[in-house]
Amino acid sequence: MSKAFSEISPSEFFYRNRDLAGFTNPTRSLYMTVRELVENSLDACDAERILPDIYISIKALSEGQDPKHYVVSVKDNGPSIAAEYIPKALGKVLYGTKFTLKQARGMFGLGATMAILYGQITTNKPVKIVSAYDSKSYEYTMMLDIQHNRPVILSKNEKVSNNSSGLDIEITLEGDYSKAQQKIKEYVAQTALITPYANITFDDPFNNKIEYKRITDEIPSPPIEVQPHPAGIDVETLRRLINKELTLISFSDVRDKVKKELNARTNQSADTLAELAREKWDRLSRDVKLITSLAVLLSINLDEIDKIRIDKINPNTDEASYITFDERYLTVKLQKIEPFYKYLLSIVEGDTLLSFLVKNFQRVGESTARKFLEYVKFDEDKRIGTLTNDEIVRLTEAMQKYSEFLPPDANCLSPLSAKFLEASMESMFKPEFVEAIQRPASAYSGFPFIVEIGVAYGGEIKEEGIKLYRFANRIPLLYDEGSDISWKVIKEIDWKRYKISFDMPLIIVTHICSTKVPYKTVGKEYIADRPEIEYELKNGLRFLARKLFLHLSKKKHAEMASKRANIYSRYLPLLAQFSKELANASRLPKYEKLIRYGKRYEEEQE
Amino acid sequence: MVRGMKKSKSKDRESTKIRKERVKELLTSLGIKIYNDLDNQIFPELEIPSRSVSNIVYDKRLKQYILGDAIIKRSSSNMRHLRSFTQLVWLAFFVNKLVNEGKTSTLRDIYYSSQAFNMDFEDQPESDHIITDLEALISFAREDFNIYPEERSSIFGDLTIEYTVRGYEGRRLNLADHPDGYLIGPSLSSAEFIETSAEMVLAVEKGGIFTRFVEENVHKKFKALIVDTAGQPPRATRYLLKRLHDELSLDVYILADGDVYGEHIAMVIKSGSANAAHLRELTVSDAKWIGVWASDIQKYKLPTDPMTEADIKRCYELKNDPRYQLDIWQKELDLFIKMKRKSELEAFAKYGLTKITDDYLPEKLKIANSL
Ligand SMILES: Nc1ncnc2c1ncn2[C@@H]1O[C@H](COP(=O)(O)OP(=O)(O)OP(=O)(O)O)[C@@H](O)[C@H]1O
Ligand SMILES: [Mg+2]
Repeated sequence: MSKAFSEISPSEFFYRNRDLAGFTNPTRSLYMTVRELVENSLDACDAERILPDIYISIKALSEGQDPKHYVVSVKDNGPSIAAEYIPKALGKVLYGTKFTLKQARGMFGLGATMAILYGQITTNKPVKIVSAYDSKSYEYTMMLDIQHNRPVILSKNEKVSNNSSGLDIEITLEGDYSKAQQKIKEYVAQTALITPYANITFDDPFNNKIEYKRITDEIPSPPIEVQPHPAGIDVETLRRLINKELTLISFSDVRDKVKKELNARTNQSADTLAELAREKWDRLSRDVKLITSLAVLLSINLDEIDKIRIDKINPNTDEASYITFDERYLTVKLQKIEPFYKYLLSIVEGDTLLSFLVKNFQRVGESTARKFLEYVKFDEDKRIGTLTNDEIVRLTEAMQKYSEFLPPDANCLSPLSAKFLEASMESMFKPEFVEAIQRPASAYSGFPFIVEIGVAYGGEIKEEGIKLYRFANRIPLLYDEGSDISWKVIKEIDWKRYKISFDMPLIIVTHICSTKVPYKTVGKEYIADRPEIEYELKNGLRFLARKLFLHLSKKKHAEMASKRANIYSRYLPLLAQFSKELANASRLPKYEKLIRYGKRYEEEQE
Repeated sequence: MVRGMKKSKSKDRESTKIRKERVKELLTSLGIKIYNDLDNQIFPELEIPSRSVSNIVYDKRLKQYILGDAIIKRSSSNMRHLRSFTQLVWLAFFVNKLVNEGKTSTLRDIYYSSQAFNMDFEDQPESDHIITDLEALISFAREDFNIYPEERSSIFGDLTIEYTVRGYEGRRLNLADHPDGYLIGPSLSSAEFIETSAEMVLAVEKGGIFTRFVEENVHKKFKALIVDTAGQPPRATRYLLKRLHDELSLDVYILADGDVYGEHIAMVIKSGSANAAHLRELTVSDAKWIGVWASDIQKYKLPTDPMTEADIKRCYELKNDPRYQLDIWQKELDLFIKMKRKSELEAFAKYGLTKITDDYLPEKLKIANSL
């Protein structure tokens, strides 16, 4: 019997492996749904620098025991999505706008779709999407075709609306609120903590409204999309960058441009085209130069060019291979007609390695590129089109290893800032002491990251012991705390040195921002150990521990001083009075100076 | 007057007054020293004999625990001392007033009185502690400055006393006038002894036996004053026993339960306790323990109870105590340990209510006097 091969779609894959994305059971899935939707809303608002107003609601569809059907809806005042993209953005996995090198909460193009998918497989109900965009309001009901990774639109309504923009997604799913509520509330509270510029309202199944008001109108400066850093490259990414440079365009895309720029007809001979092109060569666009060169060197007219597909051009043998309209495969020798021959070759061979590196990577200038190429023993004038597979691999490995590149640009990151972290902790915990710090940007494997840490102590924090709040790219991480790098670091610090004991009421907040947070799972719950991140966390925490230590000793000092002042001024007058009576004296002894002496005397003792 | 009536020596009769005068002197000079220091802008300091365990030593000659030479210096300049320093001076001031006005006060009264003077004691143990400090500082017992504990024991028998407390000065009373006996309180403690026909003092551990002895006319039959120590005797009672012994030359006999605690009651009357090592006026070193010995339990075939773990442990502790190194004390402890059983004084009732007074007491007194 022969085995039957089959292929599954990405959505089918995630359907079968939904626990990879955190949708394991009704409890966890309810929490994940809220989380994915809220994070999308915040991402969207951040991107357009809109102060977010987020409204979360969870309502049960029936009375009775959990698990049961709930409607989760999250509504924002963000830019929303243009109508034509809504079905795909929300109905297709691995489809999104965040596969870029800048910090965002979302990374995989998966979250919202997974939530919708989970709702559909547990309740068979469609998702409802209401989008206000461009003074219109669109309402979709939609289901997913899981097998083919595509949305199925059940209904679409379009209305004129003077609502400002915003997206409201409503998913019906099987959930267990009684078990999930603690985590969900915690999630909302922590999101408010790390997003102090947002208004967040949570309307729970019992109609309790929990509200977090923004405490600042300042949105952290937005991340800027950047080129990749050489140390963060892999073979596939490098190959793609090289191919992008080398792409040959198809004639149909540029036909009109060619006719216009050359003022030519499509049936004119190659020779005539050559004439026309030579006249204004320097003024022609890249596309037109390329098409004309091909036509001239293959000696065919523009109509014919439209009908062939170039397979490859080999600069070492000066041969071009192409497939004709009637599917014949031809290899011909290229004529060396200038300037067309040189131009085609430069496109095919591509840039020199030197200029390729400078153009495509951050932190690489000419002198850095030159030094690096010397180090890997590549000729700086070598054309990227002539790199063999082995050479591409060698180049990649060298880029990852080379230690002289400057650290990656952190402009693609958007941390909260020590100031706002501190303000937010202050307003949420009302502590006696709070301080936050932002560590200088650093990088691991070519990905930039910034660590922010806050420590709060005492005041209205009553619970004894260290409570840790973890965040990554402004997302709270609530599960698997024990496995997280932050705990590891906390355990490794010698708190005794700072006279801090584990029964003190202490809150520690850690926030790691990166274009690539090293999560251990797609569920985004805990962060893997990276020595570079560990180093920043440790130093930041030590700094804050020292600050807390100073605060505590200052406080103790002040308490001692006032106690001291108290003791002498409380007891010396009594001593004077009693001794006067005992001695049967007529006036009090002159003891007053002793009160001052006493304070000084004790200070010296310390 | 009955023949053989004893009178207290007139020198001793003044003793109470003299002691009070001495106490007042000491308190006043303490006040003057502190007043002068303060007036000269010097932080006053006090030196108090240390009462820490390492400074409590057994004096073989005096046959009691005394304090060694270690001294604790308490300075009012030290933030950690200032509070207790002031408490101590307040107490000196307060008891000076008490003594002058002829009033007394209980330990608990002291604790509450402090509050009227804006002095704060954490709790009564703290004020008790300061009282002991003052005792150590001036080497007088708290009873000498009119502070008494609540616990009271009583006395019965032919002894005429004359009160010295305010309002009763000169009034006399015979302690055989009331069959329930008289409480050994401040007024009795400070009274002068006028005369007695008694030739000895019988200290018993328990109220029940005390009443039995009164009913059975033990005081007449044996010419005895009967004292109920109510367990381990309070210091006022020990002080009274000493005065009866010293001023009236009465022998003191002790009768307690037949167990390790009974034995220890006798020992404390004889040799004092570590807690009062700073005081020397509380022991009757030739008092005699007449029972109930461990050997008596066997000899009189008394009903017994088994000893507890704690009882046995206490036996071993006392075996190592320097006060217990003499013959009889060790021998009886050993026997208790061997028998692992104990008997109460009431156990004699098995053989009739008067067995204890008819047989046991005379036999034991005879043995005691023959030793
Ligand atoms: N509330 C919203 N407002 C505007 N655009 C949104 C909103 N929610 C989702 N989108 C768009 O839909 C895309 C898909 O969202 P989805 O949650 O599936 O993936 P993601 O956020 O890119 O990545 P991740 O899987 O990490 O969440 C997003 O990239 C974004 O462009
Ligand atoms: Mg998302």
